[in-house]
Amino acid sequence: MSNLVSALLSFPAGVVDSLMRNQDALFPAFGETLYMVGASTVLSFALGFFLAVVMILSGPKGLNPAPRLYSVLDIVVDLGRSLPFIILIIAIMPFTRLVMGTAIGTTATILPLTVAAAPFAARLIEANFLEVDRGVIEAARSFGATNAQIVFRVLVPEALPAIALNVSVLGIALVGYSAMAGTVGGGGLGDLAYRLGYVGYETDVTLWCVILLVALVTVIQKAGNLIYSRLRPDA
Amino acid sequence: MSIVSVTSLQKCYQESVVLRDISFSVEEGEVFGIVGHSGAGKSTLLRCLNGLEGYDSGSVHVMGREVGDLDPAGIRLLRRDMGMIFQTFNLLSSLSVLENVLLPLRLWHVPAAEREARAGELLRLVGLYERRFERVSALSGGQKQRVGIARALALSPKVLLCDEATSALDPGTTISILDLLLDIRTSLGLTIVFVTHQMEAVKRACDRIMLLDGGQIQGTGPTDRFFLAPSEDLRRLVQDEYAQFPGGTNIRLWFPREIARDAVITSMARALDVDFAIVGGKLERYADDVRGFLVINVPDPDRERVLAYLEAKKLYWEVLGNE
Ligand SMILES: Nc1ncnc2c1ncn2[C@@H]1O[C@H](COP(=O)(O)OP(=O)(O)OP(=O)(O)O)[C@@H](O)[C@H]1O
Ligand SMILES: [Mg+2]
Repeated sequence: MSNLVSALLSFPAGVVDSLMRNQDALFPAFGETLYMVGASTVLSFALGFFLAVVMILSGPKGLNPAPRLYSVLDIVVDLGRSLPFIILIIAIMPFTRLVMGTAIGTTATILPLTVAAAPFAARLIEANFLEVDRGVIEAARSFGATNAQIVFRVLVPEALPAIALNVSVLGIALVGYSAMAGTVGGGGLGDLAYRLGYVGYETDVTLWCVILLVALVTVIQKAGNLIYSRLRPDA
Repeated sequence: MSIVSVTSLQKCYQESVVLRDISFSVEEGEVFGIVGHSGAGKSTLLRCLNGLEGYDSGSVHVMGREVGDLDPAGIRLLRRDMGMIFQTFNLLSSLSVLENVLLPLRLWHVPAAEREARAGELLRLVGLYERRFERVSALSGGQKQRVGIARALALSPKVLLCDEATSALDPGTTISILDLLLDIRTSLGLTIVFVTHQMEAVKRACDRIMLLDGGQIQGTGPTDRFFLAPSEDLRRLVQDEYAQFPGGTNIRLWFPREIARDAVITSMARALDVDFAIVGGKLERYADDVRGFLVINVPDPDRERVLAYLEAKKLYWEVLGNE
């Protein structure tokens, strides 16, 4: 506490000083966070996109309804979403160890992050697909489009702006998850804030971690908004 | 051999029967209207023709194929030969005008040079070539429908299905879209099935119409015959704007091509020596020529004599409900 107060009191020299002092810990941790968030966003998006396509095909009003398949996916996705991340990360540790060779560290953490975020991504993208005007789908069917063509030539382009916005929502959720993962053996800013800031009483490290996380979230959100407004035809 | 022939078609949603014992056929090159109130089953019937909707019994025979017997690949081939346009246009908002027209051609793997040429030609036909690079959201309703028409024609279909294609448009735009459809019907030798509840559209565009109510056919026949001797059902559909004149009896006289309007009125006035007022009238265009009607108001004491005269002269007429 005293560190933080003195850092603030001696602003701006104290801030620069504090940053200099902690940069060797902060920047690698920030890099790790970017790596974890980036990789797991890409992977969970890919997995979620695939699930969303299967759900939109098999859904009750889907292009090729398969009620049993859909209800299984529906339950799995809801289950995945309702499990608290901290529980999930521990629960799938044996699986993580099996796949990644270890359950500890930045790279290993990408797996639970992906598993946690994929159902979330699937729901977001499914909702985006469902929002596409039924009439447009019907028009595509009226000139003989196949189901695959409807998904990739109609649903995806029509839903793309909204999907882009949801990728930033996904990324931001993963920033939060990754910070949590830090406390149970992942790396990154969460780990740093916990080790040095909380355990080691270096409050200004915690503060820096918060600042960097806020900055990261802001950048992701702004990027999503920008892409959305670029893609939106009538915006 | 009719291009579309439907026999004893029956269609249910759960336990409710939406189409009951529907039989009709559409001849090559004609504009066939399917007319009825909201919920009559028009859209459902139209969607049975290109397999967007299945049916429970009966037969839907389109271009030599039984729609119910086709596998998915066969259905797609059928749809390639049948364009469709919609009340809400249903264009892809993410694509430009040109890309919307190109889409069916792309999906059917038409070679690039050919598909560009085809799309360009169609956009010229509908008068939107200059605006081909714009987003569809920048267009007016009528222009969107023109893109819809160009897209529906992209694969050179033989039949064009129109589901309330002009119902979202104002009267002037409706007329221009109808005229465009009539033009392409002639120039491309298209057969058009036109679902609507707009009487103006029916009169202007359709060669023959079928009245549908509660999933059942109420009548089928040439458009002018329907309007020259309207049935009870048709009359319910047409909002009668001449029904409200105080006193006397309003009689609508229809003038088919062969009868000269003025001669009838003047000779009746002379023969019967009655005073009547002309309270309304309209010249209308049915499909390809102009016909008209007059509404006259006859004092009640003279009513029977006038009706007897009209009957004797074998004119088309109807008494309009007063109030
Ligand atoms: N998917 C569906 N499930 C159940 N009932 C349906 C479905 N689609 C249509 N119906 C019913 O079938 C009947 C006919 O509908 P349809 O859309 O063909 O009417 P319509 O004549 O085209 O009406 P409108 O002029 O309003 O477009 C209606 O009573 C409607 O409620
Ligand atoms: Mg309808």
